Amino acid sequence: MSTNFYSSPKNESGRKQKSNLFAVACLLISSLAVVILVTLLATILISGSSWLSWEFLTGVHKEDNPEGSGIGQAVTGSALICLLCAAVAIPIGIGTAIFLEEFQPRNKFLRWLHGLVQLNISNLAGVPSIVYGILGLTTFVYLFNLMPSIQVNKPIPWEIGGIHFYQTKTLGRTFVKFPAGDREETTIKLTQNEMCIDGDGNEFELKLVDKRSDAPKDPELRKGFALRGRSASRLTERSPWYFHLPLGRSLLSAALTLALVILPIVIISSQEAIRAVPRSIREAAFGMGATRWQVVRKTVLPAATPGIMTGAILSMSRAIGEAAPVLAVMGGVLGTTRGIQSLMDQTPVLPVTIYQWAGDENAGFENASSAAIIVLLVVLLIMNSVAILIRNRYEKKLA
Amino acid sequence: MSSSAASENGGPDYVRPNFPVKSSARSHRNQAIMVTLLTCCALVTLGTTIGIIYMLIKESMGFFASEDIDLWTFLTGTTWSVGRTQGKFEYGVWPLLSGTLRITVIAMALALPLGLVTAIYLSEYAPKGVRAILKPTLEILAGIPTVVLGFFAVKFITPNILSHLGDFKTFNAAAAGIAVGILCIPLVASLAEDALRAVPRTLREGAYGLGSTKLETTLKVIVPAALSGIISAFLLAVARAIGETMVVALAAGSSPTFTADPRVPSQTMTGFIVHTFKSESVVPGTPGYYSIYAVAALLFLITFGITLVGQIVRARYREVYN
Repeated sequence: MSTNFYSSPKNESGRKQKSNLFAVACLLISSLAVVILVTLLATILISGSSWLSWEFLTGVHKEDNPEGSGIGQAVTGSALICLLCAAVAIPIGIGTAIFLEEFQPRNKFLRWLHGLVQLNISNLAGVPSIVYGILGLTTFVYLFNLMPSIQVNKPIPWEIGGIHFYQTKTLGRTFVKFPAGDREETTIKLTQNEMCIDGDGNEFELKLVDKRSDAPKDPELRKGFALRGRSASRLTERSPWYFHLPLGRSLLSAALTLALVILPIVIISSQEAIRAVPRSIREAAFGMGATRWQVVRKTVLPAATPGIMTGAILSMSRAIGEAAPVLAVMGGVLGTTRGIQSLMDQTPVLPVTIYQWAGDENAGFENASSAAIIVLLVVLLIMNSVAILIRNRYEKKLA
Repeated sequence: MSSSAASENGGPDYVRPNFPVKSSARSHRNQAIMVTLLTCCALVTLGTTIGIIYMLIKESMGFFASEDIDLWTFLTGTTWSVGRTQGKFEYGVWPLLSGTLRITVIAMALALPLGLVTAIYLSEYAPKGVRAILKPTLEILAGIPTVVLGFFAVKFITPNILSHLGDFKTFNAAAAGIAVGILCIPLVASLAEDALRAVPRTLREGAYGLGSTKLETTLKVIVPAALSGIISAFLLAVARAIGETMVVALAAGSSPTFTADPRVPSQTMTGFIVHTFKSESVVPGTPGYYSIYAVAALLFLITFGITLVGQIVRARYREVYN
């Protein structure tokens, strides 16, 4: 092989030609990435852009009606989960990065801990996100099954801020609810008249009839009647501070799970930002007699903030696009009738909505799915641009 | 109150001030509190790992503890029908494992050469203008959510490309493999580019000085010198492809098949897990439910092993130039 280095000048033009050919081939192959990206964006724009409208952005998912469906709840859900996830992952991530970068210990045990944490982070970054999903399911949703929660149709062991009702449909096709006496029962059969509350909060007596024909014909009056033997299901009215343990299939569980998913990325990017702060800054502060923590708080962290912010925003954009862990923790929920009342509620998020709609047999949801993808990509684009802006603005100041 | 605040707290010795300084007892107490808090932060990541391993072992044992389930059948069986309401309960993992392998092989056949060539081009050839287009393109491609790529596979790759090539089903392994390959290209390209760039200039200049062309320098000097970095990039991409979930859940279908045919639907390990969660058909506490953990444990073992090998390759076989 190495004889090529000493080959005679005779075949030099041939070798040069080969080299140039290779350069052209490289260019062509590399531009495939551009072609793929353009095709992908074009496909999605063509099938989804006509679907975008204000109604789509604010609406909710409707079964069998793709035209009327929207992503309002999904956008709210994604935003809430992303904020919660940031509030958990970013402080812990920065803390770990400071621990690893600034507090190089002399103590033997702490030094061992340092090495272990560092090795562990690079391994965690390679764990598939669905495994994190299962971890979230086991840890947050079921709390390692420490409380008897995994048994189906059992009341939640520990909760505050919730009031229980049974809910049923009247012959007038409206929903009424009445206080639940027994927490063990998730559904009951209507056997006697009940004191009910209608949608406006008025109390009245729900009368039971044996046959539909026994009820009055007037739709207004029929709202006070229900069929005997109909079932009513339990419903919990939740105040904003409603909380229960285990966390169940809730948006808090999903946010905590996503926080674990992005934690390694936050840590690695924060470490890089902290490492980029010049030594001289630290040494000047030490020279003033500051303790190590004072040095970190007063000089290193302010200097590293732009870099940390960039990394944090980029990892948030990763969290907002993740579907698998959310699907594992909250299930494939597409919408709730009540909306989000507390952190303990299930909520749809954008990627899961896209996944469910893309796999729907009703072909109309295909377009709704690409419209939702456009919204998601626009959000990601904005987040990435902000990150790049921050990076460019502050990059050169310290160097 | 000491004269050597910095060194006491693990600072470099040479900044020890030799004059009285004013770091008060309070600032030392603050520091002690903060160090404790920071250590707690660092322990979260260790807790995560312990949590993953504990949960996978415990719940998988719940699966194999059942009387009519044994590890051997799980690892060697070739029929998988778990979580179905009717029919027999069979739990041979090979259909899922072969589905994962099939899609990974297709994805790597696409991503490894393309990613490597792109990396070579970016590091050795690309003029500034092309680089200014190619680099952001790769970054955007890397940031595209995987569920979007899955959608792209079902709605574009299968109907517009594969359907002209043969009898491909709506859901097939090939489309999923191509989409997974697409999402691995930026990963391979950026990691391999880092490795190529780390090769010092002197090596290039030496090769040119001997009269090599650019192609010869690249293929015979630079790529071999960066080989450990390139291989570890490849291994990371393989691990990523094996653990990829949303693309295969959308594009590969949901029937576990034990075949090598890329045209038929197949289910991967991750695909099985997601389909189970999506349908919520499996009741917690049943063997079907525990099978999720058994599959996840296998998945974790495989990806963890590959990541670990990648780290070892990078650390041990790295050529150090100075």
